[in-house]
Amino acid sequence: MLQLINTIISRPSGAIGLTLTALHLAIALLAPLIAPYDPTVQNADAVLLPPSLEHWMGTDTLGRDIFSRVLHGGRLAISVTFAGAVIATVWGSFAGIIFGTVGGRIDEYFMRLVDAFLSVPWLLFLLLIISIGGAGPSTIIPTLGFFYGAAVLRVIRGAAMQVAARDFVTAAKARGEKLWPILTREMFPNLSDVILVEGAMRWSWMLLAFSSLSFLGFGATPPTPDWGLMVAQERGLLSTAPWAVFWPCLALSSLIIGINLLADAIGKALGIDRATAMAM
Amino acid sequence: MKNSLFLSAAIALASTAASAQTLRIPHELGYGGSESLDPISPQRFYEAIQNMYSRLVRQGDDGRPSPDLALNWETTPDAKEWTFALRPGVTFHNGNTFTAEDVAFSLMRTQSETIQSPTKGVMEIIDRVEVVDDMTVKVVLKQTHADFPLLVMDYRIKMLDAETCGHNLDALCESGNGTGPYKMVELDALGTTTLARFDDYYGGLPGAENLELIAIADQDARVAALQAGQIDFIYALSAEQVPLFANNPNFTVQTVPTGRWIGMIMNTTVAPFDDARVRKAIRMSADRDVLGKLVFGEDNYITNCDHPVWPGDQYRADIACERDIEGAKALLAEAGFADGLTVELFVSDITEGAVRMAEVLQNQAKDAGITIEMVRVPADGFWSDVWMKEPFFATGWSQRPADQVLNEAYSSTSAWNESAWQSEEFDAGLEAARAELDFDKRKELYGDLQRQIWEDGGSFIPVHLKTVRAFSSNLSGIDPVEDFSIRYENLTKEAD
Repeated sequence: MLQLINTIISRPSGAIGLTLTALHLAIALLAPLIAPYDPTVQNADAVLLPPSLEHWMGTDTLGRDIFSRVLHGGRLAISVTFAGAVIATVWGSFAGIIFGTVGGRIDEYFMRLVDAFLSVPWLLFLLLIISIGGAGPSTIIPTLGFFYGAAVLRVIRGAAMQVAARDFVTAAKARGEKLWPILTREMFPNLSDVILVEGAMRWSWMLLAFSSLSFLGFGATPPTPDWGLMVAQERGLLSTAPWAVFWPCLALSSLIIGINLLADAIGKALGIDRATAMAM
Repeated sequence: MKNSLFLSAAIALASTAASAQTLRIPHELGYGGSESLDPISPQRFYEAIQNMYSRLVRQGDDGRPSPDLALNWETTPDAKEWTFALRPGVTFHNGNTFTAEDVAFSLMRTQSETIQSPTKGVMEIIDRVEVVDDMTVKVVLKQTHADFPLLVMDYRIKMLDAETCGHNLDALCESGNGTGPYKMVELDALGTTTLARFDDYYGGLPGAENLELIAIADQDARVAALQAGQIDFIYALSAEQVPLFANNPNFTVQTVPTGRWIGMIMNTTVAPFDDARVRKAIRMSADRDVLGKLVFGEDNYITNCDHPVWPGDQYRADIACERDIEGAKALLAEAGFADGLTVELFVSDITEGAVRMAEVLQNQAKDAGITIEMVRVPADGFWSDVWMKEPFFATGWSQRPADQVLNEAYSSTSAWNESAWQSEEFDAGLEAARAELDFDKRKELYGDLQRQIWEDGGSFIPVHLKTVRAFSSNLSGIDPVEDFSIRYENLTKEAD
């Protein structure tokens, strides 16, 4: 573990990724302690103030402190998408390993099904589910988890096929081992690296998806401080009070870039090339 | 490269020449494409009917009724029979002559059971319409109404051609054949609807050759379209959008006090809103001045006590509605919600400020122990799927005279009684006010009705709005009057 971290931070991109991600997680965790104001308190006498010593990032249309809202703004998105990413990674890699190991007709049929599913535009799919099930974490987490899991499945199955073709798996099969022991003892240990990287990548994409939903009004509901929602509510102000839009944008993009860089760095440190796995 | 430059220059020139005489007005696509050309349809295509048809009377500069298709009118001493003398020599777009027959037809069809027009509740006061001669019509009312011309001033009570509509009082008439300044060329409610000027319009030749009504459902998209010169006009800007146009020589900004309001409506037949104490408690928890400032900006609103009569109306009552958190808590406790109350509020970007108003109310009501959970729904189809269907929802109304809006939004039989409020006291009071010929007494009666709505009704109407319009500066002829009184035929546009 320590060695992995050392390898990651030996590259500048890895160091930046790890720092950004760690910083964001720390902020999300500590926001209630470090935010100078309550992020939902409105103040009619302090509407749309530009950044100052009192309000570091200015205030929004309802007179709320943008700095405090930005600090809080990742909490919902990070926790919802982290839960979603865990679900996606668990079911996606589990199914992926099975299909990659079993192969044959069943694998072919299921993968065409997965391909067809992946060709559906993800935002339309999400909006459809939300319009039926209603907005809110209880709908969004399983939906994100299920949808992104299909993409994880595609990648892990490709990686699993490479592992399944190796001698020690053939040997295990020749010994007459059952499927379950092959999956857990031969396949999984050799795929855990890919799964880790894949999970991290999906997490960052899911963050973007959740923020898009908030932007459209179907993710977080007011008055929850949330970056996507903040951008949506103040986007009309881009030319007159740009700070109200700029800071949440910066926070969201720095977190997504951070996770992306980190995932790439982990992949490189572990010698994983996602593109090869995907191509199978 | 040279060729393509030349080509694009040619296209640019051609499009300027073509659009010089065309007014491009956005429409808000409130009915998702099912907009109707029948002025009394619940889904009337407002921007189109406004230009295609005319009324008997229209708002004068003083807000009083002034002649349009009727030149003058008089009543009997009991104010039950009203005789209108019509404007001679008026023709419909198809060449038919406008006569008293058309007036009788247009007025009586508003009462149709099958059409179920939102004007039905108001116009049911008409007992019958008698054709005295071709140019004279007598309207006999079921009961006295001292302000009857105000009722036919409604923007939906337009005069249709009885012949084109097949003399059928019970069917929608979407022919578009009116006497207004513009006639329909192509209807495309989801895209661009085109109207051309009517050369025989009785008010003189309209200014612009064509009107284009361009469907843009989203306010930010409308602002962007105006900035990019794709439309010429926006009815209402939000406070933070004003600076985008205020200091720009390409645009003119106009501030107009109006009777427009955005509100949150509680269905008085659904728990917990079936308890009048709960409704009053929610109203008492609001600080209207702070709300107005936060949602609409300094000086862009006039505070109000949850009834629809605007400050410019002659019948507006003075009511005090200071914020009273303790009072609200006491009412809630009495109603059985001593430990607080949680309700869902359905909002959408139907009009600028609706979502933010809900957010401010949510924040203010919290102090009284009321938790408002906001449910955001898409703006497309809001009026058909959410409005008057959910127990607590956002609404928005344009300006109407006191008697009309009190009747339309609060009398128990009205189709647009959005809070489903059933009050016999109110219905009787409204009837009494109309029968009262003495102005001061009438004003007192109308004032009582407003107080009843504040005490018992299902509305939260914290402010009336001032409108800030923006239009391209090559447009002239827009008077600083409320939206319904804009005369598009007087608008002219200089070539760029």
